[in-house]
Amino acid sequence: MQSGLLSTYQNPTQNRNILAWVLSAVLMGFYVDLYFYDHLDAVAKLLHLPSKWTFYGLLYTLGMCVGGYFMLKKHGNSRYHMLRTVSLIAVQSILGFLLPLALDFAGRPSYYFSYFFPLKYDILFPSSLKDMPVVVALWFIFGSLFGLPLLVYFKGKRTYCSWICGCGGLAETFGDPWRHLSNKSDKAWRIEQVSIYAVLALVFTMFGLIIGDAYAADGSALREVAHHTKSFYSFAIGSVFSGVLGTGLYPLMGTRVWCRFGCPMAALLGLVQKFGRFRISVKKDMCISCGNCSTYCEMGIDVRAYAMANEDIKRASCVGCGMCAHVCPRGVLKLETSRDPGPHGNIQVWTVDL
Amino acid sequence: MPALDPGTRAPHYVIVGNSIAGIEAAITIRNRDSAAKITVISYEHAHPFARVSLMYLFCGQLSLKDTQFYPEDLYDRMRFNRISDRVTTVDAAAGTLTLQSGTVVSWDKLLLAVGSSARRMPWPGAYEESAEAPSKFMHHFVTLPDFRALDAAAKPGMSVAVIGGGLIGVEAAEVLHLRGLKTHFLVREPWYFPVALDQAEAEVVAEHVRHHGLDCRTDTPIDGFERRGGRVVLKGREELVVDLVVGAIGVVPATSFLAGSGIDVNPQSGGIETKANLESTTAPGVFAAGDCAQVTWPDGARRPEQIWYTSRDQGRAAGAAMLGDDVNYRRGTWYNSAKFFDVEYTTAGYIPFARPKHGAGGTADGDGWQTWYQQVPGAAVTQRIVCRHGVVKGFNGLGSRWNHQVWMRWIHERRPLEWVLAHMNEARFDEEFTKPFAVLPSATLTPGA
Repeated sequence: MQSGLLSTYQNPTQNRNILAWVLSAVLMGFYVDLYFYDHLDAVAKLLHLPSKWTFYGLLYTLGMCVGGYFMLKKHGNSRYHMLRTVSLIAVQSILGFLLPLALDFAGRPSYYFSYFFPLKYDILFPSSLKDMPVVVALWFIFGSLFGLPLLVYFKGKRTYCSWICGCGGLAETFGDPWRHLSNKSDKAWRIEQVSIYAVLALVFTMFGLIIGDAYAADGSALREVAHHTKSFYSFAIGSVFSGVLGTGLYPLMGTRVWCRFGCPMAALLGLVQKFGRFRISVKKDMCISCGNCSTYCEMGIDVRAYAMANEDIKRASCVGCGMCAHVCPRGVLKLETSRDPGPHGNIQVWTVDL
Repeated sequence: MPALDPGTRAPHYVIVGNSIAGIEAAITIRNRDSAAKITVISYEHAHPFARVSLMYLFCGQLSLKDTQFYPEDLYDRMRFNRISDRVTTVDAAAGTLTLQSGTVVSWDKLLLAVGSSARRMPWPGAYEESAEAPSKFMHHFVTLPDFRALDAAAKPGMSVAVIGGGLIGVEAAEVLHLRGLKTHFLVREPWYFPVALDQAEAEVVAEHVRHHGLDCRTDTPIDGFERRGGRVVLKGREELVVDLVVGAIGVVPATSFLAGSGIDVNPQSGGIETKANLESTTAPGVFAAGDCAQVTWPDGARRPEQIWYTSRDQGRAAGAAMLGDDVNYRRGTWYNSAKFFDVEYTTAGYIPFARPKHGAGGTADGDGWQTWYQQVPGAAVTQRIVCRHGVVKGFNGLGSRWNHQVWMRWIHERRPLEWVLAHMNEARFDEEFTKPFAVLPSATLTPGA
C-alpha cells in the first residue's frame, strides 16, 4: 500500500504544461543528437570514455539510480516495488553498463546480456551469431526462444518488462513522475493493437529476409530488399520510435509509449502472457471507483472498469508493474500467478447467523 | 402521477442526481429499454465522479477527470438527456418538478438519488459571520462545492481543526496535513471510529496519525466557537485557536427541498421513506436510492445506508423497480474497507459496536461470545476475530489486505476459530513478498465481543 500521498498534479512538470513541452523537446533533441550527430563523442572523450554510447550508458544508469531513489521514496514501503526497482537498477548497472564496459576495456567484444530477440532484433542474425563464443550464442538463443517465454508463461510479462528490461527500467525509475499521463481511451487501445503487432510483423519480415539473404547470391534482389528493410527498421523503429519518441514523450504521453505502442518484445511476451497464468485478481464488490488504478497505469489500461465490473484482468499489454494494486486505497487488486485461482464466485451472505 | 399510455409514447424517466446511485439506475433502464426517454439532472458536475476521491483531488493525486468513473461520452452513448441545474421543488401528485432556472420538468417515473450533505455543526457560533472577520471559517468535505471552498481557503502554514471521528474526518486531516497546515484532529468519542474499531485498534490508528505529525485528540467535547483576532477559538475542555475548522461529524440526506412535495421523509434521519422496492411509501412512481433513501438494515432498523457500494446496488435495484420488476432490495451482511493514512482496514460480518480495551463490556457479552485479537509488535497491523461458541462471526483487519469474500464464506460455513486461524493466509490479499499471517504468542482470546 502506498505510503503518503502523491502531489502529482501540483508539480508543473507533471501536468503537460509549457515546462513539460520544453522538457520533452530537450529529451528529443538529446536523442536526435545522440543517434545522428557526433557532438557527444567529444564529451565522451573529455571524460576518457571509449565512445558516446558509453557516455549515454553512464547517463542512462545514473538517470535510473536517481529516478529509482525518488520512486522508492514514494513507493518503497512495498517490498514488491523495492525488489523490482533494485533488480532493474542492478541489471542496468551490471549487465547494461559495467560488464560491457569491462569487456570493452579488456579488448573483447562486448555484449548486453539483458537484451534478447526481438527487442535486440539483430542478436539472432546469422552474421551476429557466427562471431559469438558458443556460450554467449546459446545464452541469447535459449533466452529468446525458451527462457523468457517460459518465465512469462508462469510469472507474467513483468519478469522481463518490470524486473529486467532497460527500457522498462528507465520508465519505472526516471519516468515514474509521468506514469499517469498514459492515454486511457478505447481509441488509444485500438491504435496500440495495430501499431505494436505491425512492428512485430516488421521484425519477423526483416528476420526472414536476413535469413534468406544468408543463402542468397551476391547482388540478388533479396539482398537489396533485406538491406533496405534493416536500415529502415534501424532508423524508424530503433532510433526514432524507441529512442527519440519513446523517451522524448515521457513528459507528454507517459513513460511506456515505446513499450505500449512499439516494442516487439512486449508484443510477443504479451501473447504468451495472455495464455499464461498471470492475472490481476479483483476483490469482488469492493471497488469505490476512485480512479487511482487507471490513472497510475502506465500502459493506459482502464483498470477501474475491470474492478467495477468484478472482472479479473488478463491483458497482453500489462507489464505487471503492480502500481494499480499499490495505489488502490481499498486493497481491491492483487497480482497473481497461482494455478488455482481459488473460489472466485461471488458469495452473498444475507445475515450472519448469530 | 399522470397515466402512462404505453401505446402512444415512450415513458419518461427522470433521475435527480448523477452520482453512483443515479447513474447506475439510468444505465440499468437504458440497457433494458432502448426507447425510453431518460433525463439525468445534476447541479454538481456534468459527469459522474467518485466523491470518495475528493481527498485525492485536494492533494493533487488525481484530477477531476481521473475521478470520472465512466467514459466521457456515456451520456451520448446511453442517450441520456442532461440537465445541469438544481431541483427546487417536486410535486409528486402532479408528476412535475421545478428547476432553479424556473423550468418545469414532468416525469412518468422519478428517481431521487440526491445523496447527502455534511451534517451541520450543532454548536453555537459555528456559522456566524463577524464584522471583524467576515470570511467563512467553517468548512465541510462532502460535495464538490465543499471541496472548492476548502481548496481555496487552506494555505500552508495555517492551522486547522478537523472535528469528527469518522472516515471523512481522517481523510480531510491527512490531506490538510500534507498541504502543510498545522492540523488538529479532534475526536469527541473516547476513541477514534468506535462504530468499527475497538479501543485497542483505535489506539493503533491514533498512534499512526500522531506519528505523521498531527495533533490527534480523543474524548474532546466541543462547546462552541468564537472569533478572536481574525481567528476562531474552539471552546471545550481547553481552548484551541485555529484559522479554519472542518466539520466532519457525518452526513445527512439532502432532502430538505422535498418539504410539501407529498413524498414522505423521515423527520429524524431525513431519509426518503421507501418500500422494499425502493419506491416512496407515499408517492407512487417516485423512487429513492443511495444516501438519501431510508431502507431496512439486516438488524431490522430503518436508516439510510451511506456507503458507496450499497448506493450502487440500490441504484441498480431502483432502476429495475422503475422498469416494473418485482424488486426486494436487501443489502446483506456487512463488509467494508477504509484507509486511515497508510493503514488499510477491511471488515466483514458481525463486529459489535464500541468494545473497550480490556475484556468484556462490548455490546455482546457473555453467552458464548469471545474475541480473538493480536497486534504485530511495532507495526500498525492488527487482526480481530469475533466468535460465538467457538464459531467465527466477524473479522476486523488493520494494516494488511484481506479478501472479505473469503471471510464471509467462512462465516457462512460456520468455521471454528482454530480452523480459521490455520487458514488465514488464504484470505490474504496483500502484494507479493509481504510477510504472511502468523498467530503470535501475544494473541489473546477474551470473553465478550
